[in-house]
Formats: sequence, C-alpha cells, structure tokens
Amino acid sequence: MTLPVLIVDDSMTVRMSLNDLLEDAGLEAVVCSTVAEARLALAETTFALVILDVLLPDGDGVDLLREIRAMPHAAATAVMMLSTESEVRDRIRGLTTGADEYVGKPYDPTYLIGRAHELVRSGAGRTSPEKETLLLIDDSVTFREELKEALEQAGYGVFVAGSGEEGLRLAADVRPSGIVVDGVLPGIDGATFIRRIRLDAALRGAPCFLLTGTEDKSAELSALEAGADAFAVKEDNIGIVIARIGAMLRSAGHQPVREATASSLGPKRVLAVDDSETYLQQLAASLDAEGYEVVLARSGEEALELLAVQQVECVLLDLVMPGIDGRETCRRLKLVPTLRDIPVVMLTAVDDRETMIQSLGAGADDYIAKSSEFDLVRARVMAQIRRKQIEDEHRTIREQLLRAEFEAQKARTALEVAETRAALAEELQLKNEELESFSYSVAHDLRAPLRSIDGFSLALLEDCGDNLDDDGRKYLHYVRDSAQHMARLIDDLLALSRVTRGELNRGETHLSSLAGSVFSRLQRATPDRKVDVVVADGIVADCDDRLLTIVLENLIGNAWKFTGKRHDARIEVGVMDDDQRTYFVRDNGAGFDMAYASKLFGVFQRLHSATDFEGTGIGLVTVQRIIRRHGGRIWAQGQVGQGAVFYFTLENGSPGGIPSRTQEAISGQCISRDAAA
Amino acid sequence: MVGDKTILLVEDNPADEALTLRALKKSGLASKVIVARDGAEALHHLFGAEAGEACRKLPDLILLDLKLPKLGGHEVLKRNRADVRTQVIPVVILTTSREDEDRLEGYRVGANSYVRKPVDFHEFSEAVLQLGLYWLVLNEQPPQSRV
Repeated sequence: MTLPVLIVDDSMTVRMSLNDLLEDAGLEAVVCSTVAEARLALAETTFALVILDVLLPDGDGVDLLREIRAMPHAAATAVMMLSTESEVRDRIRGLTTGADEYVGKPYDPTYLIGRAHELVRSGAGRTSPEKETLLLIDDSVTFREELKEALEQAGYGVFVAGSGEEGLRLAADVRPSGIVVDGVLPGIDGATFIRRIRLDAALRGAPCFLLTGTEDKSAELSALEAGADAFAVKEDNIGIVIARIGAMLRSAGHQPVREATASSLGPKRVLAVDDSETYLQQLAASLDAEGYEVVLARSGEEALELLAVQQVECVLLDLVMPGIDGRETCRRLKLVPTLRDIPVVMLTAVDDRETMIQSLGAGADDYIAKSSEFDLVRARVMAQIRRKQIEDEHRTIREQLLRAEFEAQKARTALEVAETRAALAEELQLKNEELESFSYSVAHDLRAPLRSIDGFSLALLEDCGDNLDDDGRKYLHYVRDSAQHMARLIDDLLALSRVTRGELNRGETHLSSLAGSVFSRLQRATPDRKVDVVVADGIVADCDDRLLTIVLENLIGNAWKFTGKRHDARIEVGVMDDDQRTYFVRDNGAGFDMAYASKLFGVFQRLHSATDFEGTGIGLVTVQRIIRRHGGRIWAQGQVGQGAVFYFTLENGSPGGIPSRTQEAISGQCISRDAAA
Repeated sequence: MVGDKTILLVEDNPADEALTLRALKKSGLASKVIVARDGAEALHHLFGAEAGEACRKLPDLILLDLKLPKLGGHEVLKRNRADVRTQVIPVVILTTSREDEDRLEGYRVGANSYVRKPVDFHEFSEAVLQLGLYWLVLNEQPPQSRV
C-alpha cells in the first residue's frame, strides 16, 4: 500500500493541478493551503511525500520542513520544495534543512510527477530498508552518543570512532554504507579523513557527511574539496542532521534510477553565477524561455554551497567576481568527484586569448564573451548539456557493463569456492575412510599374530615344559606377558582414535548411575577387592553418555587400580558445588608427584612402573580428548602415597558455566596427569 | 553325548586354526572338526558342488571367521541363511574384529553369536569351551532338516 502525498501550497491553481496530476499518476493526495492546516494533517497521517511551497500565508515552508524533520513518525517522509524563488539562498536553506528535492516554479508537470514517483518509491523502500550501516566519527562523546542514538532510532546500524585514525581502521573493517565525520578532530581532521577515504579503492564509493561546528564557510568548502558529499552544522536540530544524512544515502543509492528517469525527462537545471544582478536576470529570462530551470547565485561561495546540496546540469560562471573568482570556483568545483562532470561555461567581459586559456586551464569546458547574444549563450549551454547527457549515458552503460562483469566474476568466484570446498570435503572423506580402514587393519591384523605368539608359547609350555628349565619357562612367560600387553596397547590406541571420530551426541546423562555401573563391573572382575565407594546422588550432565562412560571407566579404573595396595581403599565420585560444576574422582591410592603432573596427559606417559601398576599410558589421553570435545577441561592434584583427585568440567553441559574463554585462561595454570588404564 | 557332533571351522589363518583345534581338543567336545580355509571352501562343504552329496551330514555348529579370502564371512553366512537346508545351523562368528559395523552386519545377516578371539590363550580356550558347551550341549538343536 502506498502512503498519500501531502500538497501544501497557497495557490488554488497549483493545488488543483498537482492534485489532478498525482491522482492520474495513481497517487493519493491531500491538499492544504496553510502551515496550520499542514501541521494538523501531518500530525494525523504519515505521508510518503510532502510537496511544499516556500512562501505560505501563515509561515515559512522551510520552517515547516524543519518541524517535519523533527517528527519521529515522518522519518521516512520525502519532501519536495516548490518555489517561485530561484534564489540560491532559499534553495540552500531548503536543501540543508532536509528537503529531498527543490523545484522552481513554473514547474514542468511531467518532471514533477516523475520525481514525485521516485521519491515515493525510495521512501517506500526506506520503510523496510536493509539495515544501512554508518560510521560516525566524533571526538565528543556526548554528541557522538546523542547522534548515534538518534541514527539507530532512524533504523541505521552505527559504528563509532573517537578519532580519524580509529575511524579509518574501523572503516576498513566494517565497510559502512555511509560515513559521518566531524570536521574538527584531534589527529587527522575531517577533511583529511574524507580525502583518505577517497583514496581507498574499497571505500571511495561510500558517501561522506561532514559535521561542522559553526557556520564557517571555509570548513565546508574544504570539506567539499576533500570530496564530502554533504554536510551539516552541528548546532542544527538533530532531526535535520539525520534527514540530511538520509537524503545523502538515498541519492548515493538511487543515483542510477534518477539518471535513467526523471532527470532525463525534466527541465535542465542551470546554475548561473554572476555578481551583476542585471546580467543574471537577463540571462535567467533568456534561458527560462527555453524551458531551463535557472538557479541564480551571486558569488562563487554561494555556487559551491548550492552544488553541495543540489545537482545541476550546467554551470554558467562569471570570471570576475568579488570573493573567489570564476577561475577559483571552477578549480574547486572540478576537484570534487561528484561535481567534476558538470559542464562549466565561463562568462567574461573581456574577450582575449589570455583569459580564455586561463579559464580553460582552470577546468572550464567552454568559454563565452558576455557581450555575445543570449542566443549564443543558450546554444553553448545546450551543447554542453547535450555533451554531458551523452557522457552520462555512456557512463551508465559502462557502469552497467562493469557491474555485469563484476557480478559474473562474483558468480565465478562463488562457483570456484564451492568447487574447492566440495573437493576438500571429498578429500577429507577419503582420508577418513583411509583412516577407518587403517584402524580396522590394525585391530584385525596386529592382533592375530599376537594370539599365535601367546597361544604357541602356552602350547610349548604345556607340551614341552618338562624339557625346559626354570629360565626357559620364565622366558616363555615373558613372551606371553609382552604379547598380552601389546594386545591391550592396540585396544587402547583404537579406543583413543575412536573417541575423536563420530558425532558428539549430547544429552541429559546420569553420571551417578554411569559411575555405579563402572564400580559394579570392577567389583565383578576383582571380587576380592574391598573398596569404600562413595558416589554422590543425582549427578546429571549434558554430555555424550557413550564417551562419558569411557571417561569414568578410565578415571574410576585408575582409582581402583592405584588403591589396589591399600586395605582402607576409598574412591569418591562427586561434583563440587561451585559456579562451573566441577566433577571429580578422588582416591586415597598411590597418588603421584605434582612435579610430574604436566606429564599426566601425554600418550604413553606413565608415572608408575609396570611392576607396581600395569597400564598402557593411553587412558588419560583418551579421557582428555573426550573432555576437550565437550569444551571442558581436566586437571589433577596428587601426593605420593596420599592419593589423587581428577577434576573435570563439561562446559556447555554445566548450568551457569563460565564462558570457554575464561576456561582457557584458567587451564593455562592447570595441571595434567597420566596414569594408565 | 557330544562325541558325535560335527563342527565346521572356517578359518584362513593356519596358526589360528591350530590354536582353535587345540582348544577344541582340550575341551573334548567335538569328535569331528572340518576346516574350511576360505569362504568358497566353506560353501562347497555345506552345499557340495557334486550331485548326490546333499545327503552328507551337515555340521552341528559353524565357527566362522569374518576376514576370509575369496568370500568373506558375512557373505558365507548370508548364503547359509538363504538356503533352507542350512538356515537353522547355529553360526558363531569367531573373529578378531570388534568394530561396530562388523558386529552389526554379523547379527543382521543372522549370526547366533559373535565372539572376539582373546589374545590370551587361556581365555581363548575358555571361550571355545564355553561356546562348545553352550551350542552343542546346553542349547537344544533344531530338528534335523526334513528337506
């Protein structure tokens, strides 16, 4: 659904004509003749567009515009100023207050409706925008925060920086859709900042908005020179600043649409700059008659100021003026990337070769003597505009070609990336399959010979034992022990390789009952052992139960093994009631020397001799890998002869667990242990 | 008694064959053990290539290794279960592998048991004895095939 258009004009003829035109174009219109009426209408309804006369019986259109820009619900409303005033001052005032367009009367109906459509369309796009991001650079924290908040309310994403240097870094990272920079900054100033942005290939397209502290024209001029697309005075109402930023982003984003439609249909807007009032009026009258919309400026400064806020098709520039002269104005104008394509025709009273060369040297596109007939001026202007239009069209075509090429390149790159990724995935799968078959071979083929070694050693003992002496029999026992130890090593290594494969299937797991089953199995395997087992009730964790069974089998198995020489063996499984849920397995067994604690979790690391406690030195590595796969960590404390405690966390599974980064930091000081399993 | 029972041992590794035979001998369970050294040989023994051999006495128990030349253990079992004459013979997979997939596939194609050969020969002998006792003595055999 399209929002209505508000027409505010005191002329009945204009109101009716606009109303008819808009309705014919399929747009709903509401008409008002005074500021007071318009205020009422604006309070009640949200409009897509307001067409606003400047001179109204009960007030100033620009003041009303300022009010509109401060209305939160009108943030997306576009405003087109309509005025009989061709004065540059009014235009600048309207456009800097946040008007999206400024059209002189008498207007060209086709152009006006075309523009109205564009503005309504772009406004409609604005109500559901892809979030545009802005980079805001200001050293004043107060102002920065105030503007940031207002921008965010207007629907922009905002990044902030306190200095130009920081801003440049941030700009490279976030690639904002627009940049808002304070003119005065510590370090590099706003103008320098914008100049740097314009030198950066990746960022030069981002529209730049300069904030100035005062009405200081020189700051604005230098900003324009540096390539700022628009600027605002900081003291302005913040709503106006935001509206202007919006207009800048819009014109940056919708440039091609505008070039392709309304501006090619509409009257050509010509800026005439001369300090002689008489000449200006004559020139305006002559060009008006040809259907040009003429904007008049009295000085170079005024001209540059207007150009910062409104595009024109051609500039007629008097060479000799007080303040900055025509040459200087032309030079500055040609420095601004967005303006340099506007044809400049230099007007001069003196028609000599020297002046001509100087003018063209300053960048003017043509040169004409003031004494010439206005017909000639008109013809020159027309020629320049035609030239610019052809160039614009060429540029549009070039840009379209480039964009198409860019899109094609992007598609090619995306395809390449996808292909590479697919190839890598395939390779990974192959490697995994290779690894699987390797593990399988290890499991199957390494065990078979071991069985023979053990079996035939035993057969030898049984069948020919009588022919061997004690040493001979002892050697055969060594052979069998080694074979069996190697079998355990193979099994443990396979188990280790298995825990890093496959999915991690987290779920609610009852660790207490898992621990209970492990204890039962150990008791059944060694019925003679008497161990005081304490398992805390109701320990529940979010983890992979299959893998946690392996963890508990190893930790409890170790505790069971290392308490084997004690008569008062005691093993405790529990959870510490701290903020990160630390689970533990504590025993009062052989313990270990903390000096070797760092070796606990290394493959094949053992802290006890095989004669004291057998083991392969792979169990704790397996445990550590499982804990890490859960995002947790494991560490141990021990004392020789006093026992050992193994602590572990399961991170994501820990209710109220602390973030993993903090965990990493802690594990820097954590200790690890081995054991054997 | 059990003395008249026949076991078909399908095993390609001569050392494992010798050890299994030794364990069976010690158990005193079976009087006759037939050895097939690959899958094809096992099938040949069960179904016979020549005519007239169908009446030959079928084994009471098959001990089947998985990794076999020519035809794997799973395939032997699958064909076994597909034939009405042999589908009821108890089959115990006796192998080195403990991979989930091998176990799952074994049961899926109809193994009655799955036993991993222990490296320790004492344990191995014990396992063979238990298997023999269970499948040849304790377990009630299916009635002789009437086909």
